[in-house]
Amino acid sequence: MNRFRPLAIGAALAFLAGSTLAASPTSPAELQAAWLAEARQSNPALRAFSAERGRSFFSTAHGGDWSCASCHTNNPGQGGAHAVTRKLIEPLSPAANPRRFSDVAKVDKWFGRNCKDVLGRACTPEEKGDLLAYLLTVKP
Amino acid sequence: MKTLQSLSLATLLLAGGAWAGDHRYALSPTYAAECGSCHVAYPPALMDAAGWKVTLQQLERHFGSDASLEPQAQREIASLLQAQASTRSVHEGKGAAPRLTTTAWFQRKHRPEELHGYPLPAVPAGSKATPMAQCQACHRRAEQGDFGEGSLKPVSGRR
Repeated sequence: MNRFRPLAIGAALAFLAGSTLAASPTSPAELQAAWLAEARQSNPALRAFSAERGRSFFSTAHGGDWSCASCHTNNPGQGGAHAVTRKLIEPLSPAANPRRFSDVAKVDKWFGRNCKDVLGRACTPEEKGDLLAYLLTVKP
Repeated sequence: MKTLQSLSLATLLLAGGAWAGDHRYALSPTYAAECGSCHVAYPPALMDAAGWKVTLQQLERHFGSDASLEPQAQREIASLLQAQASTRSVHEGKGAAPRLTTTAWFQRKHRPEELHGYPLPAVPAGSKATPMAQCQACHRRAEQGDFGEGSLKPVSGRR
């Protein structure tokens, strides 16, 4: 029994801790406002984000092998599949999938990971704003 | 004593252990969410602690993708993996980037003679997809941690 107990307690604690990661609710409009304010610090003349620039950002490769569309497909109103594992990826457009862009921590996590994969660097607030402006035009 | 022992064992099983023999694994919500977005959340009990440790140390370069975690999630998942990792040598994660699919156990279970005619997932030419990363193609309930034979996709023309 002594062999099992520390393991069991550790596992139980780890399991209980699973529910402690806090959600940080947001909305596409809130995110857009925050990114616009941030982008204006370096580009005060910026008036609004561009869905057209966002569309081009989404669908082109940025010097590497992958674009956003590699996994999210050319139609982010529909689901895609991961390029390597073929795991289903839910639609990225908020109109098709209301859970998208609804949690700040998730948004930051995935931009952090995917921008490094696709661009080899972090995305700028302007790029994120343009991208979301585009996604908001995509209907399921 | 006996009660305590069963209780700890039950906790261990509930907290993510396997129902021995039937290849079903309970997955914690954090683990399933953080380690099951890009691929099936691989059962922690199918690789050893050393293999998981190396994997977690290089999440920023995780098989060609950045899979880095927030510090809190990283700590939770690290302790969960250490608690639930296999202690069997057949589950040893090998090399600089250990893969669950290259452990002796996994390879034995997926030898052609073990597959009984099951086709591996087709990979189109030019695709970056790898057959063995697509658990869900044959194990239809893999995302729920269920790798039991009963949930295998039927092969056409046979049961």
